[in-house]
Amino acid sequence: MTTQVTTDDAADAPVVYEETESLLDRVPRAVSITVLGLLGLGIWQAAVSLELISRILLPGPAETFGEIVESAAGIVARDHVFDALWITTQEVILGFIAAAALGFGLGVVVGETKFGQRAVMPYLVGFNALPKVAFAPVFVAWLGFGINSKIMMALFIAFFPVIVDTAAGLASADRDTVMLFRAMGASRWQTLRKLKLPAALPFIFAGLKTAAVFSVVGAVVGEYLGGGKGLGELVRLSAQQLRIDRVFALIFYLSLLGLALFAVIGWIERKIVFWHRADPTDVASA
Amino acid sequence: MASHQTGERPGAGEPVRSPPSGSAVLEVKNLSKTYARNQVHALDRINLTIRDGQFASIIGPSGCGKSTLLKIMAGLFPPSAGQVLLTGTPVQGPRPDIGMMFQQATLLPWRTSLDNVLLPIEIRHGSRAAQSRRGLAGELLSLVGLSGFEKAYPGELSGGMAQRVAICRMLVTEPSVLLLDEPFGALDELTRERMNEELQRICTERSATAFMVTHSIAEAVFLADVLFVMSSRPGRISEVIEIDLPRPRDFSVTTEPDFGKIVHHVRQQLDLGAQL
Repeated sequence: MTTQVTTDDAADAPVVYEETESLLDRVPRAVSITVLGLLGLGIWQAAVSLELISRILLPGPAETFGEIVESAAGIVARDHVFDALWITTQEVILGFIAAAALGFGLGVVVGETKFGQRAVMPYLVGFNALPKVAFAPVFVAWLGFGINSKIMMALFIAFFPVIVDTAAGLASADRDTVMLFRAMGASRWQTLRKLKLPAALPFIFAGLKTAAVFSVVGAVVGEYLGGGKGLGELVRLSAQQLRIDRVFALIFYLSLLGLALFAVIGWIERKIVFWHRADPTDVASA
Repeated sequence: MASHQTGERPGAGEPVRSPPSGSAVLEVKNLSKTYARNQVHALDRINLTIRDGQFASIIGPSGCGKSTLLKIMAGLFPPSAGQVLLTGTPVQGPRPDIGMMFQQATLLPWRTSLDNVLLPIEIRHGSRAAQSRRGLAGELLSLVGLSGFEKAYPGELSGGMAQRVAICRMLVTEPSVLLLDEPFGALDELTRERMNEELQRICTERSATAFMVTHSIAEAVFLADVLFVMSSRPGRISEVIEIDLPRPRDFSVTTEPDFGKIVHHVRQQLDLGAQL
């Protein structure tokens, strides 16, 4: 067998491959984010300038931004917006902590015991199918117009995803590793503490992030339907006065509250679950 | 090579014995496993003996029940009939004198190599006992060429390095028998050959008694003093082959005629089993 080596000039010429990534994907991330944001603001401004919608119903970006700055000044000066923000923050954080604790506890019961999986889980699924918002008046009747009824609403809306993710996380432990723990003579408690719980952490944190967002929803809905002195109540009053610019500014601060909680959980997750690959939905680390 | 055909009713009669080269460490006696109300005979009257310091391999078509056999020997499942004796006492559950290894390294990604190696001690005797054995664990890691990687996490190790850590974890309790379930099956061919040489060296140095399940004929022959060939449905031992190729073996042995003869013979036996 002979091998022929060609020494043709044409064959020696380097082959250049075309860039296959599309032009759009080659734009730097900061540029694309800025352009996309400005585009959205432009459409908003255009809709307002062309008076497609009444200015009373849809304030422009500039007015909204002005209101955000004005509220910020008020918050720094500790006016009524600050008080409302502080009340809602307490509702959200306490509701979130309660939801995390209850969700985690029930999640371990459901994920770790046959009883929990067979007997408790069907009730929880049925419970989750309830229209939870409809319970707001009940919580007000039970717990009054103060923050307790709002904490209850936040807990009520936010705890279910933590159960499901905790149970799924416990089940995610590698089968061979579970077998290895049995072969090493590990007790159920040792297997749970040294294998299943650490393996479940990425799932549990995903559940906590969902619960963080849901507890803001729960607190605000609780305020809409049950009064109180929080940001939700301020939003409701501003909307009644057709101060849509204020409504937008207040919603901006509400979403900052949710984002802040989300970011804190994400930060703790990165500290604790250092071995796990980055979550693709994690905007902060992208 | 000495070969014993186990006759027309394999396993039904006297246990097949290897030549007496040491006392029996692991004995499987008339062991059967049936599933689903006795409809499926996964294992049918298995008899085998592994002597002190012997390396035994078991090979067979997939689904012949060899992994089930290994898990019963480890005390992870109960047999339907028969028994497993380890150093004279019946295996009735997980035992500290058994070391196990799987196809995946099954390291805990949140623990360093050293802490992974110490895991079995921590499980059995607590954290304090584990801390006091750090030196031993470090020695084991350097035995497999991983000194300097004590503080590395599994995510930072290659597949072969992870399996080396798993070897150390298996050895740290100084078990009397090693049960290996396709330990290098997930590795690439070159890494696998190196790991086989390494395993042979470790087993020879420590005169370890080992039982390995594998899919690879070459791997089975390369490592084993005694090779059990299984047929499937029902899972039976169809032949026992003594392999007396000189040790230490390196991978050049795989090109020698004697090695080729044994591999050829085993392949024929497996083909024969497949035709049934």
